[in-house]
Amino acid sequence: MHAIATTDLTKRYGDVTALDGVSLSIEAGTTFGLLGTNGAGKSTLFKLLVGHLTPDSGTVTVGGKDVTDAGHRLREVVGYVPEHAGFPDALTGREVLGYHARLRGVPKAERADRVAAALGTVGLDDAADRRVSGYSNGMNRRLALASALLDRPRLLLLDEPTAGLDPLGVAEFHRILDRLREESDLTVVLTTHVLAEVEALCDDAAVLHDGELLFDGSVDELRELGEADELEAGFGALIADAGGSRGETVSGAEREQPAPATGDAESEQPASTEVER
Amino acid sequence: MTDVSAEEEVSEEPAFALPTGVGEGSALDQVATVARLEFALAVRNRWAFALAALFASLSVLVVALGGQGGVVRADAVVVSLVELSALLLPLVALLFGYDAVVGSDESGWLGVLFALPVPRSRIVVGTYLGRLAVFTGAVVAGFGVGGLWLAAQGRFTPAYLGLVGAAVLGGAAFLALSTLLSTLAAEKTHALGGALLLWVWVALVHDLVSVGLIAADIVGPDWLAVFVLANPATAFRVLALQSVPTVTGGMADVLVGSGVTPPVLVAALVAWSVAGTWLASRLVRRRSV
Repeated sequence: MHAIATTDLTKRYGDVTALDGVSLSIEAGTTFGLLGTNGAGKSTLFKLLVGHLTPDSGTVTVGGKDVTDAGHRLREVVGYVPEHAGFPDALTGREVLGYHARLRGVPKAERADRVAAALGTVGLDDAADRRVSGYSNGMNRRLALASALLDRPRLLLLDEPTAGLDPLGVAEFHRILDRLREESDLTVVLTTHVLAEVEALCDDAAVLHDGELLFDGSVDELRELGEADELEAGFGALIADAGGSRGETVSGAEREQPAPATGDAESEQPASTEVER
Repeated sequence: MTDVSAEEEVSEEPAFALPTGVGEGSALDQVATVARLEFALAVRNRWAFALAALFASLSVLVVALGGQGGVVRADAVVVSLVELSALLLPLVALLFGYDAVVGSDESGWLGVLFALPVPRSRIVVGTYLGRLAVFTGAVVAGFGVGGLWLAAQGRFTPAYLGLVGAAVLGGAAFLALSTLLSTLAAEKTHALGGALLLWVWVALVHDLVSVGLIAADIVGPDWLAVFVLANPATAFRVLALQSVPTVTGGMADVLVGSGVTPPVLVAALVAWSVAGTWLASRLVRRRSV
């Protein structure tokens, strides 16, 4: 079942095409990594997914519903953590989440428990009553994640969740995501520059470059694209090839030699090179 | 993950359903929550106290310099306070509101709020109302100090209440305009520059241009009413002065018979407030965060 599906999704800012005919789908219950260099279109795709932007053409559906039609209520089932999340210094973490719970329409009787549970999930119990001004960058990220989890979302969108964090902060964030995946059927989509993060967390991945979808498939398939059988090599090979084969999306199955002849429905799909334009 | 075809989209069951009908926070509750949040932040950041202290200092200074005397002398104190406020009030309101949206955007807070299932327009309206509550409290408390001092001297005049009411309405109008500027600006510095330019226009240039146009016979004297209503600072000043019974001559006399009555002035200031906030709540939808 698809949590997210986009079809020929295109977004332009003036003369700049941020996304160019991107078609992909993300299965429910998976953790999906969206890889790409700066300006690849990752954040634009996220903003389209949460309804902050409207596409110039194509469609984007979340939970089977067109995002453009869903309006702000989409975000009741989609937890979104923006890349540059910030909080008013004068509030405590618990107060921030208290206001968010109220804005989300959480019943008053449940608010305190929900806030405490969200703070516990991200490991901020001990710092809950400290002002946010005393929070580290990593604690801020975790508070943003706690806010996104308040309404028990079905889909979690994390835009560069570990950018700028120290190694301990990154490890803590990964532990939280691992626990979330174990305890629920949450679909998680994250953007990142860090290939190791995709390897550690994700089942599937897509690579965007200059607004075009270069690859979508499993993380293992991405790794196999490079000669060194490492994710960096696979990613590097895709980016290097991008200039000579623009407009081509490599599906994960395409480079597998030979295509396995099993009864599995997915493997029976023809290995496709989808020409987007 | 698979490529998506149109057939798959039609045939496949969605992974989860979007909410329908129930469970959403009510519009009023969401606006009130954002307003409460804004109010709490202004109190904790000491903005509320700073504003109250500013207005208190102004009113005490003018009352002290006004010397002793009867009601006529007290009216003169009010007139002095109105003239000073006509310069200061727009500036303070514009500076208090210029970062309402763009400042939150730059700090990352707006992105967090926009990630919630709350329409952007409610966030803007709530932000405006929260700041308006702070501003109103500061005006009432600050000018209240001067009013209490006048009362202690036994020379309190009802005109002083007219001044406070007009100051609240004028502040509301300029706060709405600064919220609008904040919504339109890409950076805080742009919003600040816009706010200062607007202040120069309303406090220093507009009346000069208006009087100049009339004096040069480019427009007729009947245009004066339009000029008064077109500038919230002038509308505030005329409204506050119309509550002073002993004021004669000048603009008060010129406006007799022009239709610029206190209800019209109140309506104009309310219209400025509503229009500014409404426009901001519409235009924020286009804002990229």
